[in-house]
Amino acid sequence: MLRELKRKLEQYIHTIERSQRETAVDLTRYELRELENIFVLLTIGSFIGLPAPPCAVSMELLPYLGHELEILNKRASESSDALAELMGSLDID
Amino acid sequence: MKSIFFTGKGGTGKSTLSASAALQISERGKKVLLVSFDPAHNLGDIFHLELGHKKYSYTSNLYLQETDLEEAAREYLHSHLALLNEAYSYMKAFNLEKYFQVFQYSPGVEEYAALICLEKILNRENAFDFIVFDTPPTGLTLRILALPAITCAWLQHLIGLRRDILKKRYTIHNITGKYDPEGVELVYREDQDRVMQKILEMQQRYERVKRWLEGGDNMIAVVLNPDFLSLRESRRLMDGLQDLALKPAAALHNKVDPANLQAADEIEQALLGPDFALKLQRVYSTDLQAGQSCLVRRDLSQIFL
Repeated sequence: MLRELKRKLEQYIHTIERSQRETAVDLTRYELRELENIFVLLTIGSFIGLPAPPCAVSMELLPYLGHELEILNKRASESSDALAELMGSLDID
Repeated sequence: MKSIFFTGKGGTGKSTLSASAALQISERGKKVLLVSFDPAHNLGDIFHLELGHKKYSYTSNLYLQETDLEEAAREYLHSHLALLNEAYSYMKAFNLEKYFQVFQYSPGVEEYAALICLEKILNRENAFDFIVFDTPPTGLTLRILALPAITCAWLQHLIGLRRDILKKRYTIHNITGKYDPEGVELVYREDQDRVMQKILEMQQRYERVKRWLEGGDNMIAVVLNPDFLSLRESRRLMDGLQDLALKPAAALHNKVDPANLQAADEIEQALLGPDFALKLQRVYSTDLQAGQSCLVRRDLSQIFL
């Protein structure tokens, strides 16, 4: 009985701790996504009409930007609701 | 190893003077490679030879090479398309790679191909005492010479941004672990981040070319004629070079003859204003060697030796 209680308590503390950690990094994750999005916009932004770096910079980096391209794509699809996402990240209802 | 770029307006005599200077320097015991970047490719005509893209040994001290910028651009694109195909392998399944062939018509590719050729020559041709470049007309040459500095400025900015990204990843890694919620590994170390590694490698390459262009072993000779258009373009060229922190070492005033002597005096006065202190050498129309030769007799080597 006591052992079961101890296990449940540990599980509870672990969940709380994990929840605290997730809350702590939410904003950092949001910032990271934005930075990665800016990075890919700067390197291959000519595809959407932004001033581009010298073409070799875009060309030579393109093969390594798979992850950033996915973020760019995701950000583009969420762009109509960016404010809501920011408010969510800042925990503002 | 020293280098000399012969620049100037089209038709002023860059090929003739660069070939003459290269031959004269080689005759003074220096080992010289003369490279033409000019799409017009007159080197073969000057030396009465059929030149390819490989080095041709004209004498034991003088080697000639014509660089085909279009071919270099195709090679450059081919190597990167291969890498793209490897990274985005699904393209192969749908035969999409052929659509990327259009990249060869992109603005800026020719300049980059020239820069890559320049880089290759600098890295490989250490056995020569002098490398003499016959360049395309002013606009393209300025764009080629500007590329290392512009690229380095972009790369410096991208490095700062990438470091911020890696710092954020490190923070998240420390709090929640190795993977993000989508299961993607959070690479936070510079030596493990392939994007950062590629940027640093590019920075190292372009910094080297930039330092070399700005260094004391590189000389730029401006070739002009005694006419107003040539003067205006030479001034623009010299201003452009100054903006790039590159100093012209000499002005070669070509095709001067008794009929335009007064114009030549006026142009030299106008060219050598208070901003520019450079060696000036006149080359007279009568300096052209007799017969079918396109080389000049006047000694140009003393300017560069």
